Amino acid sequence: MSALRELQMRFTNALFGSFALPDVDVPDRLDIYRNNLREGFIKALAIGFPVIEKLVGVEFFRRLALDFLIAHPSRSGDLHPIGAPFARFLQARFANTEYAYFADVAALEWAHQQVLIAADAQPIALDALAAVNPADYENLRFELHPAAALVRSAFPIIRIWQANQPDASADDQIDLAADGDNVLVLRAADWIELHSLPAGDFAALEALAAGASLGAALECALSADATFDLGIALRRFLSLGLLVRLHLPAASSEDAS
Amino acid sequence: MTLPGPLVFGAESESAPVALASLSAGIGLRAVHHHEVLEQRPRVGWFEAHSENYFAQGGSLPRILGRIREIYPLSLHGVGLSIGSTDPLDRTHLAALARLIRDSEPRFVSEHLSWSSVGGRFTNDLLPLPYTEEALRHMIDRVRQVQDFLGRRILIENVSSYLQFNCSTLREWEFLGALAHESGCGLLLDVNNVYVSAINHGFDARTYLKHIPRAAVQEMHLAGHSARRIGAREVLVDTHDGPVCEAVWDLYVAAVARFGPVPTLIEWDSNIPALDLLAAEAHKADRITEVHHVRAA
Repeated sequence: MSALRELQMRFTNALFGSFALPDVDVPDRLDIYRNNLREGFIKALAIGFPVIEKLVGVEFFRRLALDFLIAHPSRSGDLHPIGAPFARFLQARFANTEYAYFADVAALEWAHQQVLIAADAQPIALDALAAVNPADYENLRFELHPAAALVRSAFPIIRIWQANQPDASADDQIDLAADGDNVLVLRAADWIELHSLPAGDFAALEALAAGASLGAALECALSADATFDLGIALRRFLSLGLLVRLHLPAASSEDAS
Repeated sequence: MTLPGPLVFGAESESAPVALASLSAGIGLRAVHHHEVLEQRPRVGWFEAHSENYFAQGGSLPRILGRIREIYPLSLHGVGLSIGSTDPLDRTHLAALARLIRDSEPRFVSEHLSWSSVGGRFTNDLLPLPYTEEALRHMIDRVRQVQDFLGRRILIENVSSYLQFNCSTLREWEFLGALAHESGCGLLLDVNNVYVSAINHGFDARTYLKHIPRAAVQEMHLAGHSARRIGAREVLVDTHDGPVCEAVWDLYVAAVARFGPVPTLIEWDSNIPALDLLAAEAHKADRITEVHHVRAA
């Protein structure tokens, strides 16, 4: 290993682990870099998860963020992706406690961040299905808009999210035992929409997002909600601009989008 | 005296809608000011964006940057490439930067004389390099790789540092001069960082300027810093949270005298003030370069 690489390894270990570094003139000043590392990480995480910060309080959020930094340090020169494992981290930490909903709220906030910066795409037209041979419907596959995300929760996470926005009224009591939200997070023109979807719609979208055919998605939807109506749901998905590509079954060879 | 000025490198950019203003100082573009910039169109020469803040693939950020780019010249300033690291260069990061360069046609693309990661673990900070022959060869190779990948010259900025490595054998100005000479990169001289490091390490800031090759400096930065007490001694920290201090303005006068009216940028990243206060700092830099012009003429 080169001397430069060995030095960089020692330096980084000293920053993350609070070890001394014998290679420098004023070892005490390593604290400035330690402080930059920690404060930069806490600040970036707080920007991405303002609702979690509000729920746990600023001081406890700092402690959580520092534990999270050690378990899941940044893996990129861009700080935006650091929040990817945060919901999992909170899940492991708060499962089977009265704070089990933190993980789902974090998943919602992560989805929000992702949707904000996801690629632009042209949704398929409302009448696109009219051009498809009805015999092919069952084998159709769709791609969901890149700026759409699905978050399933047993908790009322939309109400929790709304009650912890900067402009929310303070005395909002939330019943954690209320029905859970199956949330579609969707980027509109310049803002983000949160839709609580019926169980059938959500199951269908989850299946389509995973690459299932429309026929398979219909089965998933019907097992979630026996009254699911595919026609109504498809029109809703199309009018939301959720579907961006339509793949015809291989036999028809041609893609329409 | 010949002035190594923006006109030479202005030729690198495709179009400059505010041609004359490109000689005026610019300010760092921060998200809190996006809408105000578009609505009020402040009288500043140009904007500089932190590259990583605009890596978004879609949504409002690229759209806003595009609209600002239609009005002002733009530069891209990276803080995350970890160019001095001994890890392989992050090709995903470089590809995102290349895409942003394609879309925003910046006048300059810059990064730092620093590293921020090793073993895949990122500090997302600008860590100092030891100034050894080995580190110099490494930086020359890395800057070449980046320039080859991007197909253009980049600028490398000196950083503020709070400690020095016992193994260093070169002075920072020697290291930078050799890096520019060998790799062909330009230099982004951060006058505040020169000052902060000079105080922290006890060297003479004007000696530093004297040893930086004139033609290499293509851009200058100005920013505020703050003082912290570590142990028995005070140390200056590059916090970008306030106005440029008088001592740094004085050093800027010396820098303009040596390097000419190089495109200059005001950076302010924490406790970000109102846009007109930032513009006022930029105008203060303009007055210094104008005085220099008169003297040079």
